[in-house]
Amino acid sequence: MERRKGGGSRSMSGNGAVTSGVIKYARDNIDTDVIIPGQYLKIHDYAELATHAMEGLDGDFHSKAKDASFIVAGRNFGCGSSREHAPIALSHSGIKAVAALSFARIFYRNAVDGAFLLPIEIGEDAYEGTSEGDVVTIDVKAGQLRNETTGKRYEIKPFSEIIGKIIDAGGLFRYGMQQKQQQQQPES
Amino acid sequence: MAQNASTLFEKIWDSHEVLRKGADGPSLLYVDRHMVHEVTSPQAFEGLRANGREVRRPDLTVATMDHNVPTTPGERRLPMADQTSDLQVRTLEENCREFGIRLFGMDSPDQGIVHVIGPQLGITLPGATIVCGDSHTSTHGAFGALAFGIGTSDVEHVLASQTVWMQKPKSLEIMIRGRMSGPHAVTAKDVILYVIRKIGTDGGAGHVAEYRGQAVSDMSMEQRMTICNMSIEAGARAGLVAPDEKTFEYLRGRTYTPESYEEMVDAWKKTLRTDSKASFAKRYEIDASRIAPQVSWGTNPGMTCDVTEAVPDPAEYGDGDKPREDSARKALQYMGLEPGTPMTEIPLDRVFIGSCTNARLEDLIEASRAVRGRKIARGVRAMVVPGSQAVKRSAEEMGLDAIFKDAGFEWRESGCSMCLGMNPDILMPGERCASTSNRNFEGRQGTGGRTHLASPVMAAAAAVNGHFVDVREMDMPDGTV
Repeated sequence: MERRKGGGSRSMSGNGAVTSGVIKYARDNIDTDVIIPGQYLKIHDYAELATHAMEGLDGDFHSKAKDASFIVAGRNFGCGSSREHAPIALSHSGIKAVAALSFARIFYRNAVDGAFLLPIEIGEDAYEGTSEGDVVTIDVKAGQLRNETTGKRYEIKPFSEIIGKIIDAGGLFRYGMQQKQQQQQPES
Repeated sequence: MAQNASTLFEKIWDSHEVLRKGADGPSLLYVDRHMVHEVTSPQAFEGLRANGREVRRPDLTVATMDHNVPTTPGERRLPMADQTSDLQVRTLEENCREFGIRLFGMDSPDQGIVHVIGPQLGITLPGATIVCGDSHTSTHGAFGALAFGIGTSDVEHVLASQTVWMQKPKSLEIMIRGRMSGPHAVTAKDVILYVIRKIGTDGGAGHVAEYRGQAVSDMSMEQRMTICNMSIEAGARAGLVAPDEKTFEYLRGRTYTPESYEEMVDAWKKTLRTDSKASFAKRYEIDASRIAPQVSWGTNPGMTCDVTEAVPDPAEYGDGDKPREDSARKALQYMGLEPGTPMTEIPLDRVFIGSCTNARLEDLIEASRAVRGRKIARGVRAMVVPGSQAVKRSAEEMGLDAIFKDAGFEWRESGCSMCLGMNPDILMPGERCASTSNRNFEGRQGTGGRTHLASPVMAAAAAVNGHFVDVREMDMPDGTV
């Protein structure tokens, strides 16, 4: 069994700026059953799991993901089941961030816990202003989503302080270990 | 804190908060009960092992296997036909043995769906914090417990520390006034489907919902579990009902009910309720008397209508909201439905009575009312999957299995089964199913499968008619079966 921690394609921190193509799903309520159908939850190998990512929604997902590391979607992304397999399957397919109007809570939490991908909350302007195939830069530090194709800039909702720290640390456990080390070595 | 008026949720939260990061930061919550199943736990145990950690409180942790176990009688043994399921089940057995966790395995008389056996065994308790790597953990809120689903990283965190990090949600009141019309015809399932239809699939986002009002007080514990179960389908973090005499009576004398239970009840009576002056961040009000039997027509639980209505026109459904209209159009395309088709004229291929939403004894009794002395319609395949082995035994003692089998239903062993299509119980592409489960998402019950959510009695009536009917107009025996 492959070890999980650290995500699959994690090269994006809570502070970095990454530029990539966009896969746009102009719909609300993209649930975890279409992100990774239940029949695949028995698969423990994440590379294999990833081959079934978005199978319930988009048969062309993997060919699109070759040139695009961002998903842009509507409200309540990741609703439904608590399966952490959902952000894992996306992450191991090369997805670095999902920018959505809103997220279902458990998906958001799972994405952060394992630092699998960045869940970016965007407004209607960024959602409407981003199309499939556009190239965008997500700059977490600047709090911006820049559409390089259209030249337009949009604000993104900043991470709360601790969410940013967990993502930077590379997940919940690494963050916890950092905290522990800091407590054991008090500042002089 | 004691002087301030608080909601039930806030009281449970405050009594479990170990620490808080800053004024608004997340809190570390103590976990009273951790329930584990085979699908979301393997990597968590593996993480413990890799870091040389132990399970901090194995005595507060229980496990069962429910998601991918076969429900076909005679096939519940190892090795299982499906090799990946077999590995997952064996892995849970090994993990429970290594870490000293009580397991209700496939051959245990106490095996069942995790959210059915928790209350049934007296493991679920009022005022407790309960977590499980499963979104329908909200079910346990029916007992006045703060219960919510977590992902696998958090499962590992709870195993290691018996705590979980969480941003404090807000309190939401869902007031369900009045009484439900039509005894045995309008059920808790209709109430919760109606609530989700009205408040939306993210209407409860960021909140813990407390269900209140006459209709909720009138409900049995099993009915309350049905509404709390689907809180997650409205986007809520958890659902709650304040405990009352029915709650305390339900848990009295169960296998794992604590020895000091009566003292605990006395304490709960004083504390576990929302203070009269407490305020909720958000409130919804529903009139129970207006609720008809509900059936979903789309691909999320909010896409639901009265059984007497027709498949909606996407433009009307959207009512000016373009994404909503688009999602309805896509849903109808997936479901193979035309706007204007009466819900009672959609032919069905399959009927599934089961899941953590509706597979308790009372659900099976209610379903049997529509079935007794009848046969299922030609061309329909129908199955009953009891929520636990204990439910199955009780139902058999009452003769319910004979009622269902005589009508042509398959009578199965307990498990999650066709709710999520992880075991061989799945829909074929294009098959249309009346299901008592909780999610009608695309592909949920099998690739290309089309799910209509409904109550047990509605699904049972649909099985005998081959299509949905308004069970308020159906001739059904009254009283106990």
